[in-house]
Amino acid sequence: MNTTEKIRETAKKLLADKKVDLVVGFAQGSLPLRSTPYFARTPEEAENLIWSATCENNLANFLRKRPEKTAVIAKGCDVRAIVGLIKEGQINKDNLTIIGVPCEGMVDRKQICELVGGKDILEVTDTGAELILKGKDFEQTVAKADVMFGSCKTCRYNTPVLFDELIGEAVPAREADYGDIEAFEALSAEERNAYIAQEMQKCIRCYACRQACPMCYCSECFVDCGSPAWIGKSAKSVDDNALFQAVRVFHLAGRCVDCGACERACPMGIKLSLLNRKMVKDVKELFGAEAGVSLEDPPALNTFKFEDKEDFLL
Amino acid sequence: MIINKNEIPSLLDKLAAEYRVMAPVKKNGLVEFAAIKSGEEACLTYANTKKPGKEILFPQSEELFNYTVDAEGVRMQDNVDPTSTIVFGMRPCDAKSLVLLDNVFKNDQYEDVYYLTRRNNTLIVGLGCNEPAATCFCSSMACGPFSKEGSDIFLTDIGEAYVVEGISEKGKELLAKLGLAEAGAEARAAAAKLQQEVKADGTINIEGLSDKLGGMFEHPFWDRLHEKCLGCAACTYLCPTCHCFDIADEAKDCNGCRVRNWDACMFPLFTLHGSGHNPRPNGKARWRQRLMHKFNYFVERYNATACVGCGRCIKNCPVNLDIRQALADIRALD
Amino acid sequence: MRNPYLPLPMKLVKNFTETSDKLIHTFTFEFLNEQDAENFQYRPGQFAEVMVYGKGEAPFGIASSPTEKGILKFSVAKVGVVSTALHMLEEGTIVGVRGPLGNSYPLEQLKGKSLTIIGGGFAFTTLRSTIQYILDPANRGDYGDLTVIYGARNPGLLLYKDELAAWDARSDINLITTIDREVEGWTGRVGFIPTVTKEVAPKSDYAIICGPPVMIKFTLPVLVECGFTPDRIIMSLENRMKCGIGMCGRCNVGSKYVCKDGPVFTKEQLDRLPNEY
Repeated sequence: MNTTEKIRETAKKLLADKKVDLVVGFAQGSLPLRSTPYFARTPEEAENLIWSATCENNLANFLRKRPEKTAVIAKGCDVRAIVGLIKEGQINKDNLTIIGVPCEGMVDRKQICELVGGKDILEVTDTGAELILKGKDFEQTVAKADVMFGSCKTCRYNTPVLFDELIGEAVPAREADYGDIEAFEALSAEERNAYIAQEMQKCIRCYACRQACPMCYCSECFVDCGSPAWIGKSAKSVDDNALFQAVRVFHLAGRCVDCGACERACPMGIKLSLLNRKMVKDVKELFGAEAGVSLEDPPALNTFKFEDKEDFLL
Repeated sequence: MIINKNEIPSLLDKLAAEYRVMAPVKKNGLVEFAAIKSGEEACLTYANTKKPGKEILFPQSEELFNYTVDAEGVRMQDNVDPTSTIVFGMRPCDAKSLVLLDNVFKNDQYEDVYYLTRRNNTLIVGLGCNEPAATCFCSSMACGPFSKEGSDIFLTDIGEAYVVEGISEKGKELLAKLGLAEAGAEARAAAAKLQQEVKADGTINIEGLSDKLGGMFEHPFWDRLHEKCLGCAACTYLCPTCHCFDIADEAKDCNGCRVRNWDACMFPLFTLHGSGHNPRPNGKARWRQRLMHKFNYFVERYNATACVGCGRCIKNCPVNLDIRQALADIRALD
Repeated sequence: MRNPYLPLPMKLVKNFTETSDKLIHTFTFEFLNEQDAENFQYRPGQFAEVMVYGKGEAPFGIASSPTEKGILKFSVAKVGVVSTALHMLEEGTIVGVRGPLGNSYPLEQLKGKSLTIIGGGFAFTTLRSTIQYILDPANRGDYGDLTVIYGARNPGLLLYKDELAAWDARSDINLITTIDREVEGWTGRVGFIPTVTKEVAPKSDYAIICGPPVMIKFTLPVLVECGFTPDRIIMSLENRMKCGIGMCGRCNVGSKYVCKDGPVFTKEQLDRLPNEY
């Protein structure tokens, strides 16, 4: 049985045995290179579940404060977010069954689209290591490894850290690599500013990044607060757009699981991972902490350790 | 009339000397409408712009007026923009969306001077789509890859040249001044063939849809449609017909400006009353609103569907919530 | 083209603390330009956007009556940015006012009819406008019997106390005031609006009702019992609004915009709209 078949079997059994009321997973999307979050409530509906290299959304987003008994088809980063949310009291572990799926990495449809010069891709075949892309008058083969999301390429927790059942074999963890962030850090302040301004110019303040983030769940986001109005609402203010992202990143310090959901959701293609991953890297270096890798670790920013760096204090 | 493609930059240069010319340009990896200084900047080989054409007349953020208050009283500076503008190379879906938006910004009592002043001073040069994208479904939405509704002048790409048609009086007047060559029979035939044959997805049947939706407000269909929706505004902001906006003041002390920003029915705050009561309190109510507004409320009010089938909401939805599927599902309901 | 977004300058001549909890103030504004005063022709039930320079604008029902010349009155609860700023304004401050906006109570159509007006809490503002208008000597003869039922949680929260006393003394209006719980010295009724309405059992041609959703919810069936048909029950909605001119989409309910097609609707009209208000 392949992963999809195993997922269907497991989901069907859970639903048929009434162990859960709902299985959250993925179904085939309406476009090539797209899958779509899917909510199966009957064994028949579970037949629509799939697994592929396009299951890019972080499903932990759909699990907060769910009243019904729920199972989730979760890859490594989904599970990290779930762990974080359990610790923050947003998910009741007793109500959740995690069907873990070791993840080889998800492919980035935006990169692929660029690779074929923005032409319409009408059909995609996944051969395992490669994708064969077919359009109206072209056919092109790309290595999945080359078009993977940045966060997947360097994911150390691609095998879920917590699960009730694991579908398939654990996959070898990838090397953590913050080369992209180091390269950015090496730029001058002016260059970094210019780059961020260029990216933030694209922002339309649709808040897809915030909405896609499993850890962004404030009932009133500071951006929306009217009194006081912490921040201007106009998308044409590049500074306000940057401020929105900066505060979001700070609020995610020690909580961001580096799943890349924000960047994937951004319709404007803003390189949001740069800011988040910088924070992830800093938290790791400063406090030796990584979010969502164990139920026991105390939250990095809620804990004081004697050896914590204090050189930022006056 | 006809113009060779290699003559387009010099034509645009000529126009730019007299008008503000907005054309699709490539910027930061996106194709956007922008004011061009030189004809070379225009990129006419694009599928569609990332942001819809509505932003030319109805920008995402707009300072309506500025004000200062001092001992002498209140002074206001109104920012109505009457610049004569030519939009060159707008796709038919976006051109049609402007016709739909006209309904909104001018009603029986009020006129939105900011939109209408731009509208009245803007000439649209439409550009037909020889290769509609897989997400395009304009042919289903009383539009189509060669729909001329909303265009003042219309271009059809026949390979080395564009066949140029004057559509409105305004368009014909401009063409008369440009002195383009007449198109030969062969060119006209090639254009006619494209216009007749090229279709986007036309399989979405919206006949009777508005009436059906009219009786569906309480239908259980809405219970699940929104389930995967994240509640962002990618679909609405990038929609050429979505027109909801917010009005806010940006000010220091008593001096500032009244700003209008795009807003979206997908945000819970959009309808939240001061009392805390929210008439559309959940994703279900908000998605129902979005779909109903386009395919029922707008139809009842203006006798037109508020969708042109540009496919931007499909392309840009982070969770692939496909409006075509939703419409097909509604059609399939008893 | 007239720009419907530009406010007219007005001067705050009175900032009056209306209720004992100090949360509702009544503001009286005077037009700075005579021409504006002449152009600003409004009817009871309409609203306007009031702008505090530097803070923004917000919609409020007009509490004054067109028969009170040269001024506009608004009674405003302190809930948001603009209303909070308004509460703190000194008399003499210049504000902006944009309007009149929306439809109005159908006072033309109501001529020759008897009326019951029911209000709860601070949603009595446009009702005050209506009552003042009808009681004006020039208009009183145009309307039949007028019954007013007005309630608040306690006597201190009733708006327009002086006027209530004056109305009470008149014979051409039957005013019934009520509070939720017994208080020493209170001579009016005690009880919630739906209960009091049932006791009073008004018999009029039309009813106009404004108040918090829960009050409306329980009073409507009473009105139906009293024989009011849905086309003779008139209500005013309070959806969130911004532009006030039927464009920004915020107050959209079904194919209607509350700001322009409303805020006044009959129950019959509302029964045909989605319940999103």
